[in-house]
Amino acid sequence: MLDRGAGMDRDILLRATDVSKSFGAVRVLHGVSFDVHRGEVLGILGPNGAGKTTLFNMISGDIKPSGGDIRLGEQRLSGEPPFRRCQMGIGRTYQIPRPYSGMSTFENLLVASTFGGGKSEAESYAFCARVLQDCELADKANTRAGSLTLLDRKRLELARALASDPKLLLLDEIAGGLTEEESKQLVALVRRIRDRGVTIVWIEHVLHALMAVADRLLVLNFGEKIAEGDPQEVIANPEVKRVYMGIEA
Amino acid sequence: MTSVPLSPTDATLPKVTVRRQTASGRVALTLFVIALIALVAMPWWAKTGTIRMILELCCYIAVAQMWNMLAGYAGLVSVGQQAFMGAAGYAMFVLAQTFGVNPFLAIFLSLLVPAALAVPCYLLLHRLDGPYFAIGTWVVAEVFRLVASNMGWLNAGAGMSLNVMKDYSGFERNVAMSLLCALLILATIGGSYWFLRSRYGLALIAIRDNPVAAASQGVNVGRLRFMIYVAAAVGCGLAGAVYFMAQLRINPPSAFDPMWSNVAIFIVMVGGIASIEGVLIGTLIYFIADRWFGEYGASYFVVLGVMTVLVALYARTGIWGAISKRWDAPWFPISRHLILKAEDRA
Repeated sequence: MLDRGAGMDRDILLRATDVSKSFGAVRVLHGVSFDVHRGEVLGILGPNGAGKTTLFNMISGDIKPSGGDIRLGEQRLSGEPPFRRCQMGIGRTYQIPRPYSGMSTFENLLVASTFGGGKSEAESYAFCARVLQDCELADKANTRAGSLTLLDRKRLELARALASDPKLLLLDEIAGGLTEEESKQLVALVRRIRDRGVTIVWIEHVLHALMAVADRLLVLNFGEKIAEGDPQEVIANPEVKRVYMGIEA
Repeated sequence: MTSVPLSPTDATLPKVTVRRQTASGRVALTLFVIALIALVAMPWWAKTGTIRMILELCCYIAVAQMWNMLAGYAGLVSVGQQAFMGAAGYAMFVLAQTFGVNPFLAIFLSLLVPAALAVPCYLLLHRLDGPYFAIGTWVVAEVFRLVASNMGWLNAGAGMSLNVMKDYSGFERNVAMSLLCALLILATIGGSYWFLRSRYGLALIAIRDNPVAAASQGVNVGRLRFMIYVAAAVGCGLAGAVYFMAQLRINPPSAFDPMWSNVAIFIVMVGGIASIEGVLIGTLIYFIADRWFGEYGASYFVVLGVMTVLVALYARTGIWGAISKRWDAPWFPISRHLILKAEDRA
């Protein structure tokens, strides 16, 4: 196997090499390799069960890979617990929102900012207020997260990930359930986050939202990478059309 | 979404203030300080019997609050905190009675024992989840009891007496007991409040609500749980050392009595889990019930058990939870209320 970790290109923020995951006899991911370049938005597509969220869980450290290597910059991530990966600059959202229900929206962000972002509590106050404004949650800053609507919980997931001031942001289906207008606003927000220098990997089924902002696309099917590259070219790929859109070439 | 560019590190950060205290909190804090002064001043206004009764009440508050920190916040449901009460109690007796250390100094030195024992216990138990962890803590407490029952230098099953207390007058003992009561409340209630208001308290509440998300937001869940476990062991140890000093006797069945965990669970469940207010309310209910109905023996315990089950089924946040739903007036406010200046409101 080629040692893709050695002498890694400085332009590459995340490198996954031959990453595999099995749960018992069930193979969820098999030999997936890809790079994420600094400052880009990489979209990940794939039908349900393709292994997209499992891939995120391995990058964020929630589960351990069965094989392969993942690096953030020059650092190997294997052996690093999730909290350390967040402190290294990996922020993530969850497909099913996981708010701290008993805390206010503002306090949810404070946890990420002080522990993940390494800021003092005093520094975090204005910073978190700004992130709440950007994610349209400022008027719900003191609302208990457990009483937020689904849409606001999704916004909170994104806001909380941003509050940890990440270098790499992993977005897991944040546009699901949003209206057309809300999706447009979300795309605008993701663009602004990217313009700030944050590298983004975005799993999404809402294709038009992803296509509007992704610099590259990666497609998974049954745990294997079947396409990667320019979004228009990937979408035109006959195999992608077949497995993801059900269109036979 | 707003049209403001997302650039949280620039000079356009909004002007904010964060409110931590409330009017109800100020009133409660004043009453708390008055209560501490009243505890310290007990020898001048209370009889010895009253002081012993209040000392018992303080021990219940302390043990229940430690259980609240463990189960209500850190997600560590322990039914074996009596292990550390007994360990500190025995350590204090050995230091004072066997080695001749001043018994009041021995109380503080004895806290090293539960702290030291909590470390290997946690390393052993933290791999267990939920009910398995609970059973593990109970097993640890039973092992402690069996070890104490078989150690000759602890006088085995017969237990030990604290004869050195005869060197002190009744008034001196009352002064010491009163100071220890105040210290116990200050350390467990005041200490918990201070901790919960800190950024670590924020992390602890995050762990309570969602440990997986907390870890992915930079919280070292394992280390914080470990810290709480050791702190709770020391808090329970302090309660044990004070309680058995007042009793002047210790033996394995009383030192490692599971009743302490049962009472702590009752107090926290009925009063209101994950709140200091709930502990205070629950302790008062238990203490009054124990004084009024204790004579009915087993049937009284059945009533307490039924109350706990009913609260668990129909009012999971306990009495304080029901009160705070109706009136937002916390006695020990720990939240952070963000106030955006008018021009910065989105």
